[in-house]
Amino acid sequence: MSVDEQFFAWLDGELDGKEAAEMTARVAADPELARLADQHRAMQARLRHAFDSVSAAPLPKALLGAEVVDLAERRERQRPPAGFARLPQWALIAATLVLGIFAGTLMPGRNDSPVELHNGALYAAAGLDRALETQLASAPSGGPVRIGLTFRDPAGDICRSFSGTEATGLACRDGDRWRVRGLFPAGEGQSTDYRMAAGMSPELSSLVNSTMAGEPMDAAQEKAAKDRGWR
Amino acid sequence: MDRQLRFEDDLVSLLPRLRRFAHALSRSSADADDLTQATVERAIRSRDQWIPGTRLDSWLYRIMRNLWIDTARSRSRKAKFEAAPEEAAKVGADGATEASAELARVMAAMQQLPDEQREVVSLILVEGFGYREAAELLELPIGTISSRLVRGRTALLALIGER
Repeated sequence: MSVDEQFFAWLDGELDGKEAAEMTARVAADPELARLADQHRAMQARLRHAFDSVSAAPLPKALLGAEVVDLAERRERQRPPAGFARLPQWALIAATLVLGIFAGTLMPGRNDSPVELHNGALYAAAGLDRALETQLASAPSGGPVRIGLTFRDPAGDICRSFSGTEATGLACRDGDRWRVRGLFPAGEGQSTDYRMAAGMSPELSSLVNSTMAGEPMDAAQEKAAKDRGWR
Repeated sequence: MDRQLRFEDDLVSLLPRLRRFAHALSRSSADADDLTQATVERAIRSRDQWIPGTRLDSWLYRIMRNLWIDTARSRSRKAKFEAAPEEAAKVGADGATEASAELARVMAAMQQLPDEQREVVSLILVEGFGYREAAELLELPIGTISSRLVRGRTALLALIGER
């Protein structure tokens, strides 16, 4: 190992005790070497900081394209219907991805997020929560959130599919809140077609199929469920 | 959770890091995202080759690095006929223009390094791998890693270091 290499190995914490101590002493005794160490530390900090902006940014939509959505779909099919013990990681990533667009869609000019994390699970919030709580599929509000199907899962909890301009998803009753079980970017052109936007994206339909026990509610059942506080 | 689900979970959770590594190697954000996408596709197709119990991150980094090397020749040929990328990096939203500009500067500096130095600098200085881990990942002797790292970081200091 050349002297240079040894110096940098020391800088990177790669030297063992005795060698490291010797290099530490050498650098301490040599202002030129100490300055070089500082410059390289600063340069590495700059590199890391710049590239960390990439890993900290939400994943671009294209990256959550075919393959990753496939993963998500396959997982939903393999998962036992009542086995949504926790929110899958892909859903969190999909959520961070669509949040910006979705939030803008739901509440222009406001920062209220339509979903929020609570104890590691994703719950509907703000406008999405209000829509799930109050809207009936049989009586569309004309608002940015549309409700698709309402049904019960095998555990008896009520679930509702929903859609915004850029995202579709499924939320199920958990206590007095709506827990989001899946959130997907809406496909091209779906936002212009109410029926498709209301729940027919392939990912969502696969999730709905694996979650639903029995038949979806009709208008009267939906209304009755709402009046009972979605119990 | 069964083994397959865990593989997929872990793969998805490693995506931000993979994308960062791709940016350290690539000349533009668009190239970096193409590389990340190709890596994910390859990893899913080759999942049977990953040995459970070994590090998934190293395996994925190796796939990415090999894909990147595969395109190196066409890349350098193309670079001769092209001006420097006008917009090297476009990562954040509008509010993040300062961070994007800084990322573009750093990516441009990384592009000045020869490929074999850039990959070592990326793995060790950006991704935080140890010398030995990087040596195993790149299947190179540790002495080669060490000397390439010295040359790469010295060149980088001249390019973006503060005096």
